[in-house]
Amino acid sequence: MAAFLPPGAPRPRSGNDNPSQPPPPNYNPNLNPNSLADNLNNLNLNRPPSMPSSAPRASPFGQPPHFPSPASLPGVSVGSSPFSRPGPPPGALSRPAVPPTGPPQSTLSPNVPPPARSMGPPTGQPSFIGSRTPPGYFPSSGGTNVPPTYVAPPPGAFPSSGFPSRPVGSAPPPGTRPSTASPPLTTGPALPHSSAPSGYVTNGPPAFMSGASPGGPRFPPAGSAPPPPIGHPLTLGSAGAAPQAQSMRSFLASPAVVAPPGPPAQPASPFSAPPQGVPPPPGSYGPPTWPVQPGQVGPSQPLSGSVQPPRMFGMPPPPLPNQSMTAIPALSQTGAPVSGTSKIDPNQIPRPIPSSSSILYETRQGNQANPPPPATSDYIVRDTGNCSPRYMRSTISQIPCTADLLTTSGMQLALLIQPLALPHPSEEPIQVVDFADIGPVRCSRCKAYINPFMKFIDQGRRFICNICGYTDETPRDYHCNLGPDGRRRDADERPELCRGTVEFVATKEYMVRDPMPAVYFFLIDVSMNAIQTGATAAACSAISQVISDLPEGPRTMVGIATFDSTIHFYNLKRALQQPLMLIVPDVQDVYTPLQTDVVVQLSECRQHLELLLESIPNMFQNNRTAESAFGAAVQAAFLAIKSSGGKLLVFQSVLPSTGVGSLSAREAEGRTNISAGEKEAHKLLQPVDKTLKTMAIEFAEYQVCVDIFVTTQTYIDIASISVIPRTTGGQVYYYYPFSALSDPAKLYNDLRWNITRPQGFEAVMRVRCSQGIQVQDYHGNFCKRIPTDVDLPGIDCDKTIMVNLKHDDKLQDGSECSFQCALLYTTVYGQRRIRVTTLSLPCTSMLSNLFRSADLDTQFACFLKQAANKIPSSPLLQVREQVTNLCINVLLSYRKFCATVTSSGQLILPEALKLLPLYTLALLKSIGLRNDGRIDDRSIWIECVSYLSTPLAIPLVYPRMVAIHDLKQKDENECLVSPVIPLSSEHVTDDGIYLLENGVDCLIYIGNSVDSNILQLLFGISSAEEIPTQFVLQQFDNPLSRKVNDLVNEIRRQRCSYLRIKLCKKGDPSGALFFSHLVEDKNPSGPSYVEFLVYVHREIQMKMSS
Amino acid sequence: MSEMANTDPEGLDGVRMSWNVWPRTKVEASKCVIPLAASFAPIRPHPDIITLPYVPLRCKTCSAVLNPFSRVDFAAKIWICPFCYQRNHFPPHYSMISETNLPGELYAQYTTVQYSLSQNPNPNPNLTPTLPPVFLFMLDTCMIEEEMGFVKSALRRAIGLLPENALVGFVSFGTQVQVHELGFSDMSKVYVFRGNKEISKEHVLEQLGLGISVRRTGGPGYQKGLPNGFPNSGVTRFLLPAGDCEYTLNALLDELQTDQWPVPPGSRASRCTGVALSVATGLLGACSTGTGARIIALVGGPCTEGPGTIVSKDLSDPVRSHKDLDKDAAPYFKKAVKFYENLANQLVSQGHVLDLFASALDQVGVAEMKVAVEKTGGLVVLAESFGHSVFKDSFKRVFEEGEQSLGLCFNGTLEINCSKDIKIQGIVGPCTSLEKKGPAVADTVIGEGGTTAWKMCGLDNSTCLTVFFDLSSSDRSNAPGTVNPMLYLQFLTSYQNPEGQLMLRVTTISRAWIDSAVSSEELVQGFDQETAAVVMARLTSLKMETEEGFDATRWLDRSLIRLCSKFGDYRKDDPASFTLNPSFSLFPQFMFNLRRSQFVQVFNNSPDETAYFHMVLNRENITNAAVMIQPSLISYSFNSLPAPALLDVASIAADRILLLDSYFSVVIFHGMQIAQWRNAGYHNQPEHRAFAQLLQAPNDDVQMIIRERFPVPRLVVCDQHGSQARFLLAKLNPSATYNNAHEMAAGSDVIFTDDVSLQVFFEHLQRLAVQS
Repeated sequence: MAAFLPPGAPRPRSGNDNPSQPPPPNYNPNLNPNSLADNLNNLNLNRPPSMPSSAPRASPFGQPPHFPSPASLPGVSVGSSPFSRPGPPPGALSRPAVPPTGPPQSTLSPNVPPPARSMGPPTGQPSFIGSRTPPGYFPSSGGTNVPPTYVAPPPGAFPSSGFPSRPVGSAPPPGTRPSTASPPLTTGPALPHSSAPSGYVTNGPPAFMSGASPGGPRFPPAGSAPPPPIGHPLTLGSAGAAPQAQSMRSFLASPAVVAPPGPPAQPASPFSAPPQGVPPPPGSYGPPTWPVQPGQVGPSQPLSGSVQPPRMFGMPPPPLPNQSMTAIPALSQTGAPVSGTSKIDPNQIPRPIPSSSSILYETRQGNQANPPPPATSDYIVRDTGNCSPRYMRSTISQIPCTADLLTTSGMQLALLIQPLALPHPSEEPIQVVDFADIGPVRCSRCKAYINPFMKFIDQGRRFICNICGYTDETPRDYHCNLGPDGRRRDADERPELCRGTVEFVATKEYMVRDPMPAVYFFLIDVSMNAIQTGATAAACSAISQVISDLPEGPRTMVGIATFDSTIHFYNLKRALQQPLMLIVPDVQDVYTPLQTDVVVQLSECRQHLELLLESIPNMFQNNRTAESAFGAAVQAAFLAIKSSGGKLLVFQSVLPSTGVGSLSAREAEGRTNISAGEKEAHKLLQPVDKTLKTMAIEFAEYQVCVDIFVTTQTYIDIASISVIPRTTGGQVYYYYPFSALSDPAKLYNDLRWNITRPQGFEAVMRVRCSQGIQVQDYHGNFCKRIPTDVDLPGIDCDKTIMVNLKHDDKLQDGSECSFQCALLYTTVYGQRRIRVTTLSLPCTSMLSNLFRSADLDTQFACFLKQAANKIPSSPLLQVREQVTNLCINVLLSYRKFCATVTSSGQLILPEALKLLPLYTLALLKSIGLRNDGRIDDRSIWIECVSYLSTPLAIPLVYPRMVAIHDLKQKDENECLVSPVIPLSSEHVTDDGIYLLENGVDCLIYIGNSVDSNILQLLFGISSAEEIPTQFVLQQFDNPLSRKVNDLVNEIRRQRCSYLRIKLCKKGDPSGALFFSHLVEDKNPSGPSYVEFLVYVHREIQMKMSS
Repeated sequence: MSEMANTDPEGLDGVRMSWNVWPRTKVEASKCVIPLAASFAPIRPHPDIITLPYVPLRCKTCSAVLNPFSRVDFAAKIWICPFCYQRNHFPPHYSMISETNLPGELYAQYTTVQYSLSQNPNPNPNLTPTLPPVFLFMLDTCMIEEEMGFVKSALRRAIGLLPENALVGFVSFGTQVQVHELGFSDMSKVYVFRGNKEISKEHVLEQLGLGISVRRTGGPGYQKGLPNGFPNSGVTRFLLPAGDCEYTLNALLDELQTDQWPVPPGSRASRCTGVALSVATGLLGACSTGTGARIIALVGGPCTEGPGTIVSKDLSDPVRSHKDLDKDAAPYFKKAVKFYENLANQLVSQGHVLDLFASALDQVGVAEMKVAVEKTGGLVVLAESFGHSVFKDSFKRVFEEGEQSLGLCFNGTLEINCSKDIKIQGIVGPCTSLEKKGPAVADTVIGEGGTTAWKMCGLDNSTCLTVFFDLSSSDRSNAPGTVNPMLYLQFLTSYQNPEGQLMLRVTTISRAWIDSAVSSEELVQGFDQETAAVVMARLTSLKMETEEGFDATRWLDRSLIRLCSKFGDYRKDDPASFTLNPSFSLFPQFMFNLRRSQFVQVFNNSPDETAYFHMVLNRENITNAAVMIQPSLISYSFNSLPAPALLDVASIAADRILLLDSYFSVVIFHGMQIAQWRNAGYHNQPEHRAFAQLLQAPNDDVQMIIRERFPVPRLVVCDQHGSQARFLLAKLNPSATYNNAHEMAAGSDVIFTDDVSLQVFFEHLQRLAVQS
């Protein structure tokens, strides 16, 4: 790898190179070959088959299924057996190698290799980046690898099409981004022309036609290589030409919501094709997904009103070009006037179009920050100075110069930081830099770490800090002359000077004690309920299987305890003939029964542990103790590992009813006392008292991270319980109602991922910002003792922290503003590391730039988190109103200041944020913002949101739905998760089977008149009557079943979550559950999408006129 | 003297009194200097005691039991109670009574009889189930491996000796208390209690799953074991018949480790003896009432954690000494004593016993825990190590059956009836006042007083109590003719014998009143100097413990001088004329040795040792107690039979072997010559068989002593001029010191001390006694 050697000895990094040897010296957390990589792979949709090296990783979820590979099958099917190991027979699937898998899964396998990019693009559209932008919209078909290559679409997509520039950009891929490029890039996306309807017109039509022609619909032809990327329907057509055209139009005219006054919902759109759920079949490549869009496209064009959402994510708003953003992407309503009747064609309103292929993204090009692709898209990052957006992304890719400007925009300025996020397997691993004894070079005033934006001056003898502006002497050992370009000559060899993310080896100064060992303490509920529902057995079995996944080596310590109304520890010391059970009966004032021996080196107690886990369910088989001393047990377990810190994994099944921190079934109290319950309903979402919080703070102080697996049948007061994981950097897993049949597999996989995912212990994180901006507050799962830092007893790749920023000064237009996140943590192998993530963004004083560079996914994640924060403390109505207003204010600002010339009858949406109304609506209908759900369901939703990563934020409220009854019709080459169906019941037919997933749950809806043949193939049942309530996905020996399994596994990988799969049928509560996820429908919790647009529009109009 | 020669001075009744003839008035009594006291062994076995299988007859007013001193009117079938003169009718089943057909209790020689209250072979054993005794072992784990090994093997042996049906429980403790659930078969299971928090009985029961609420709902689900005649079957999880759990216990002992909590350097191990006792007590609280149960605490060091702490963990902070106690510089002492007092009360209310086996080089807190042991009638053994025979053999003795059995009994209650005008001040010894008021209760209290009934949770064959009497101050002696010339005392002891049967022993004794103003001769004849010495010793130790700033030596001296002044024959101010009646002649010497004994001299003794000595002194019989005060010395030589020798340094000779029995230790002392011969191995040569026999003789005698004694004495075998010889020299009268070394006989020895010798003591005594 690159040698970055710092003065000191460089540590050889093992990048992909040496896959093996995990722990040792330079174990690089993420990158590391084996484990990490693996994990990554799993997650990624498309894992390029190519990378062999990565092979052996542990897939987070054991499910072998994904891989077609024979072996795995069994595993999968396993489902049948009660819990048996989840997916894969341990041996087989588990981490082992996925190697084989690689290929198989990605159908396309062959090429893919990242590098390949070149090939793809028929178009030649070079700038992938720019191009990439659209992803969001594009119908990304399966995520297959296609990626990089395609970049192509971009041009097309953008209005930019018009630009000549594109071509230019096209040239070479990334590498080239020569200066020249710069304009293109930025511009690229930018839609110069803006408004000109004409522009799009041109493009539009043609394009579609061609591409779409067949099916008309589905633009998003999925998988197919080249074309797809483009995304737009247009693109379908095919490469080159197409792109351009379409893009244009989309922006401009994008779909308009017409209607002035409230024309009722969706009248059939004039143009568009009929919205039938099922798209025309075969014609197109992939499955016909959205019938909708296609339709409209064509026709619409003429009218300005057309819809197409073009994608622009990357709005390249290069300042230079025209700033007139005016025209930009507004979804204008077409002339309402025209049509006379106000109508909104439901098929034309903006909807997300999943991108199919990977995009190759360079974080900086031409010495400028490159706006990141949407978080939900599939991209491969090349770190060229800024950090990968996986680690840190801003809600706006340009920083407003003044607080007023920000306020005017109505947007939020915040960073979403996921410091240990999983990289894409094809990405270069993060490099580890060892400055030996000196430690990393830092600004002596603000303590910022050396990064590519520190400017060396005076022949390299001094450097200016990009955070605080102070000029420091370069340490003698670190001195290097500057080259003609003013950069240090060694800049490219030193990762810390050319990468947005590096990891420093921490010196003694960063340790208050030796790095802590990896301590895992399992705490299992064995009260009567837990035993009888099988939860204890499931937990024991999961732990037993996961033991082999714990890090090897003498630093791995394990302990175990069970509890009911007392706490039972086990002395696992090898010298003893058998484990010794130590009972702590005082649950009011707990203690640990042994100083040592309760937590033992794994290597010393493996056998005992296995034996014990096997016998626990039997031992307590006749337990009649219904009480559960959860709080006391957690406290006692904490005491047992207090000296070292560590992970505490708790399996809890009933409401804690005794001992310290016991809770009451206050939900029921709320129900019986309606009047009080109504008024203070949100109080039930707050912790009942401070006891657990106080405990949690102490846990955090001693670096104990608590994860809780709730396997329950009843109310358990998640709101109170979740305080512990939330404060200690852990999380709550919720299995309700726990099923001994279907949940053990998920429990195992969740536990396994919990333990195998990249993670760190005893971490401290701080974000530093350039002068003018400061951190206002942090949100996430952590403990904060001092204002500037957050303490994270545990941090892992799934945890995201939101950092709200505020101005304390004006910024210089044209300058750059840097954000640096430093995470000091200990790896599971006991190395102390500092991961430094730096992002430098341009400052702007143009409102239009802000809108152009708004990052929808990130903004929405912010909305989501803020709303979740408020739910427990404010009346629900108020929260809903705030959410709606946030959306309206942004749109209003845009309408007011950026959209020129349009008739007031149009709803104009900034292209970048055109899906904001849809997502806002989805948020309003989400569990957390409804009050018809169970209190615990809402609490768990809030808890989950608090650490949710950006890419998972949208699916949580706006799930993904696919039809699976006709999967078999698809081409082998298509990507797995492809055509996504809008979340509207119109698209759900009685003879179809649909899979809907939000990253947590997976609902499979079976229509009433589904062909029994298909039922037989998929579920082994002959009619809808036989649909079981508890379901285990099995793989049968037929292509359809295999497809479905592949699909599910693909989703699991993408979401890093095993998903609870549930079958739903019409006329059943489960069916109602399914339909409640169809957010575009009108239902008790909110209006239909069209109605909502109308409402928003009206509100804006009102505010405009007032 | 004659009495001393008697091999069984206590006789059938087990009663010895300081005065066998009592003065009539309180004033006279106080002039006697030595208090009116009776030493009484409540259940001392005697072959002549008969056991009557029926319920005794009691007087309907004073509830004294029918006894040989009752006057019986055979014709009227009436008996007159000698205490209150109440006339009682015999019940119908005594109708056969006549002068020639007396029930056992009326035989004149059976002043002591025993009634077996539950012996009636009941056809339905469920009505009066025999409750097996409970042994709850409580083992300290804060000790070095070696000690742990010793104590484990002692425990194993003990468990093997227990009767099959005896219930056994096991508690170990260190930093925390671990209650082992012996009835859990899946794996070893222990309940752990923190060591630094006081815990009530209710909490212990609740947390062990024996609480009332739990019991009501059927107990914690996973219990095994069968009800064993116990109403609260939950407790059978912890207390199992020895036969059933011997294997489990042995396995448990094999695995048991020393306390795993780290001990920082410079610190004492953290040991929560106090909480452990609370927990053990609480656990026994789950046993049904009336169960005979004992906690057998094996303690290897001081309590440093939680309530009952006697010293801080900091090693630089020494365990309190007598000096600290005097200066009130023992910060933990009072609190700890208070704690153990509460514990004692709880144990007494449950009727359970605490036995303390302490083995450590330093103190373990016997002084603080004494109250709990003494009030419950527990055993106490203090040794240096669990490997030492003092502990090992004593511990074994506790569980052995047969002739040497201690005869451990439970749930004893003592009631005393006495003639009018006699008041009871209290009892010194292993018992607790039941606060039963009555006319016979004296105003002043000595020891456990204010009552006519006492509880003895544990008692054994050798248990001995000292009862202090007073006389009513009303002066009725002016009308001697109308008063009965005899006084009566009746001791009623009910208890549960080792087999679990309920017994009642009734001892009735009679002594004469004497008008000492008239005849002091008779009074003098009734003086028992040995008993008097022991009584004085017990009274002294009591005062030392309870009276602030009590100067024992001075008090003893003054008493002795007063006694000599009153009973000596002399001319005023003429020391040379002083003589003492033979009934008193030995007494000054006892006092001389008492003054020098460990009971009075705390110098060089720790508070623990002092407490230990006092406890043993208080519970032993007069003969043994006298040996503690004044050791016996026997000399063995070629030319004579073994013979008592003067307890004087002059008894040492090069060709003699001396055997000193000071009760706590037994010393075999070889004269220089003997030692040389022995070292040369002459005793192994056939021609020197006589020498071999000489060497062997004292050993045989020592074995006899050891066999009968509990706690087992420490055996010291030493040679003249050897370092161990100090055990002998310390006890000898220093008639020869370095001050007069030139006078000594060849082969003798000198004692390096400034203590006065017996001769000097006597000289002073004579001089002071005759002063006017």
